[in-house]
Amino acid sequence: MNIGVRALLANQSALQTVGNNIANVNTPGYSRQSVVLKSVAGQFTGSGYYGKGVEVATVQRNYSDFLTQQAALSKSIAAGDTARYNNLSQLENIFQGGPDGLGASISNMLNAFSDVSNAPSDMTARSVVLTQADETASRLQAAASQLNDLKLGVTAQLKTDVSAVNNLAVQIASANDQITKALGSGHSPNDLLDQRDQLISQLNHYIQTKSIPADDGSIGLFLSGSQPLVLGTTVSPLKIGTDEFNDPAKSQLMVTVSGVPQNLAAAQLGGGEMVGLLRFQNSDLVEAGNLLGRMALAIGTKMNEQQALGLDLNGNPGTPLFNLKPIPNGYPSSTNALPGTTLSVGVQTSPSSGAPSLVASNYELSFSTITTGSITRLSDGVVTAFDFGVSNPVKIDGLDIQKSAVAATGGDRFLITPFSAAAPSMVTAFSSPRGLAMASPVAARSGAGNAGTLALAGLATRTQPAPPSVTLSFTGPGSYTRSDTGATVYAYTPSQPIEYSTAAPLTGWSLTLKGVPQTGDSYTVQPNAYPTLDAGNAQAMMDLRDLALFDGGPLTDGYASLMASIGTRVQSAKTTMTVSTNIATQIETDRTSVSGVNLDEEAAKLLQFQQAYQAAGKMLQISQSIFDTLMQNLGR
Amino acid sequence: MNMRMGSANLFDNTLVKLSSRQAGLADLQEKLSAGKKVLHASDDPAGAAQAERAFTRSTRVQTEQRALGLQRNAVATAESTLGDATAALQTLRDLVISAGNPALSPTNRSSIAQQITGLRDQLFSYANKQDSNGSPLFGGLGSAGAPFTDVVSGVVFNGISGQRASTAVSIPSLMDGQAVWMDVPTGNGVFTVGPGKANTGTAWTDVGQVLNPAAVTGHNYTVSFQVAAGVTTYNVTDTTSATTVATAQPYVNGKAISFDGLSFTAHGVPANGDTVQFAPSTRTDLFNILDSAINSINNATAPGHLITQATTLALTQIDAGMSRIQSARGIAGDLLNRADTIDKNQQSKTQQLAADRSRAEDMDMVKGISDFQNQQTGYDAALKTYAQVQRLSLFNYLG
Repeated sequence: MNIGVRALLANQSALQTVGNNIANVNTPGYSRQSVVLKSVAGQFTGSGYYGKGVEVATVQRNYSDFLTQQAALSKSIAAGDTARYNNLSQLENIFQGGPDGLGASISNMLNAFSDVSNAPSDMTARSVVLTQADETASRLQAAASQLNDLKLGVTAQLKTDVSAVNNLAVQIASANDQITKALGSGHSPNDLLDQRDQLISQLNHYIQTKSIPADDGSIGLFLSGSQPLVLGTTVSPLKIGTDEFNDPAKSQLMVTVSGVPQNLAAAQLGGGEMVGLLRFQNSDLVEAGNLLGRMALAIGTKMNEQQALGLDLNGNPGTPLFNLKPIPNGYPSSTNALPGTTLSVGVQTSPSSGAPSLVASNYELSFSTITTGSITRLSDGVVTAFDFGVSNPVKIDGLDIQKSAVAATGGDRFLITPFSAAAPSMVTAFSSPRGLAMASPVAARSGAGNAGTLALAGLATRTQPAPPSVTLSFTGPGSYTRSDTGATVYAYTPSQPIEYSTAAPLTGWSLTLKGVPQTGDSYTVQPNAYPTLDAGNAQAMMDLRDLALFDGGPLTDGYASLMASIGTRVQSAKTTMTVSTNIATQIETDRTSVSGVNLDEEAAKLLQFQQAYQAAGKMLQISQSIFDTLMQNLGR
Repeated sequence: MNMRMGSANLFDNTLVKLSSRQAGLADLQEKLSAGKKVLHASDDPAGAAQAERAFTRSTRVQTEQRALGLQRNAVATAESTLGDATAALQTLRDLVISAGNPALSPTNRSSIAQQITGLRDQLFSYANKQDSNGSPLFGGLGSAGAPFTDVVSGVVFNGISGQRASTAVSIPSLMDGQAVWMDVPTGNGVFTVGPGKANTGTAWTDVGQVLNPAAVTGHNYTVSFQVAAGVTTYNVTDTTSATTVATAQPYVNGKAISFDGLSFTAHGVPANGDTVQFAPSTRTDLFNILDSAINSINNATAPGHLITQATTLALTQIDAGMSRIQSARGIAGDLLNRADTIDKNQQSKTQQLAADRSRAEDMDMVKGISDFQNQQTGYDAALKTYAQVQRLSLFNYLG
């Protein structure tokens, strides 16, 4: 009879567990439970051991430590890649191609000079140029402000995530506490363990952690390999700050261990939504901003330079077409010795314009002595040595870096962000079409009796004001003398530019003639007497379209490569995301194959234990009837 | 393989897969309806960049074509203006020929002179003609709004002489006014010859010719006539080098006089001491030539032989001026031909660029629709099998 009762109770518990499994089939983080039955030790009699039935040893949690950790880890990586991809695809939408894109607006602006070139005195054509320039500037501004919006969104999201992580960390610490206490009972507190694993999995969604179990059943969580986030019941809260250079474009994740904030190295953070967001903000967004900023700075600088080489309708040298905000000073590291030197940065103007040499990158400059050290280009890690003692400003990639008089100290470091200010602030500087300096300050005159086939192929202005007039007198088909250098004979090659002065930096003008001269032919380059009907500088503006401005590519192709470079990032982020999501899905499937509830299996178990329960009931019935039979016989 | 499937996970995974298929279908549908396989740069970064470059180039070609249109219009106007100028000069030439008739009275000549003046003013207005944008057609390398001004001393070119070269995509829209209107040689192009101012006889000359270019010195000469006892002889002196070239040569009316590679024919009867002056040709402008012709024709007191002299000279110089205009017209014609060639090249370039762009980003509709059908079938199958598999449960057989 006792055996029957025990079996009844044991199978009831089993049925209860099955019921619990079925009830929790959709509970996230729930691990399938099963009762562990064991037979009760037999009773010894002369004829051997008689079994005394069954009892429940414990309720077991079906669980794989390895798979649970792997699942959390892979989910963490997938969450990071997904967060980065989602933001990148928003970034990509800012840089549309085709007729509505920023590239079209830049190319329209330069094409508009064509109409001025054909009708220099036409105010409509000039107004169109100004409107297009305005349009380009505001498109660049709009793109920069969209980038900034993305940055603000990411920063806000990071702050929300930080408080979520801190909250989860506190919950995990308290789960640690409860589990440690519950383990004292000798049975594993399955639901608490599930709850803690679920919390850890949620935490890993935000940031990847490494779990290290302690002997007392608590779990320690470590960030970027070694910084403790949860240790037993102690929590070290996360916070978002700025990096050592206080670069406003970037965010830095910090963990406050015993009240001391420690920077978490980005490279070792692993996965997690926050890591994806940080990577997006600190790398993708910075690169996009640099590409856009370089486009604004290079085009703005180059067009301003060209504008300065022309004469406006009032006969004055052109004033800048675009207002470009100065490049911010180098950001000093917070570890620099005080008072510390300052570094001001500008686009190189001498010996030639730095605009075509600009590379879309930030730079880190570190002093090893008071004047020397090295500059690292952060986009590709190229290191260049500098010495302010030899040259101040130091020249690199079209930039002039000027050190202030205050001495630097070995070990001082600076972050230089040359392209952070140009695009957000770009505006046209004037609104009067008369201000466009479309006339060339110099003009070439063919000699009155020229008999050869000389034709003017090009006359570029190098500097203003125009130098005094110079006459080239041809002494044969391949040679000429100049009025400013007397009898010196120069070689003439058709279509090869003739420079006013070949000494660097180039000054004056550059004349290109086509055709073959005859002896006695002459060409004179003189200050332009008829600027109102001249559009030499408009032609020079149009020629900027082919200027190798962006890493050797022509100006008008700059936007296409910007698009492609961002597109490539998005494409690779998408692939990475797909792969890591698939891996996470696969590992989750593996994990649930151990821990998850399968309803068919539970249905089968339901039948199994129901039958056992019924059999135990039958057994009771039989022992009852045996007992009844015995009593009836006794009563007879 | 002994594999348990967590029921909840099975649901989740299938849902994820179904929604990813759905997203794929939606993406393809979006691309199909836009007709593009590259909607975002990340769909194909290299293709997107190529399409963008082709787009930029083709807008540029459009701009260049529009500019070429304007340039062609300007040159075509210049060309037809030069045609009109040639016609005007032809009429003018006929008038000069008729004015050379010694039988005409001063009044008749004066009325011819008036007609010539009218044509001359017409030519002047041609020289200052502007294109539709207000740029002077004959401005050369730069000029004031009206490159030619008519002042007391004659016509002045307020511009920079020279001709701009064509480029691969454009032609110069302005022609060199200096070369067209202001660069006419005096005399026959090598030298000028004419009777001395103080002559009293009736001798006049033709414009002369070059017999031997190698012997031409470019010096000034004076031919002086001596009439002694009814015999007319002449001496030739090189006044530049102050040497005597020939002495006491007999003069015969209507016969050529030659020296140093030059030759001219004198007509009429020179008086003793009369001279014929030689000078190397210089450059003058077409309007100056017309002005002196008008002055000579208009001169009521001029003797017949001087009028003949003046009209002969004027005709030669007008011919020289006409040949300048015709050669400029030839240049304009060349430029127009060049514009046609550029236009053809640019059109084929536009087509090429459109094809490039299309290849890079347009969707192959056949492929796109077939892909869409495939995915649709796949999605359909996934939905059906999911519904069927999920229907299977042991619980259906319980109770």
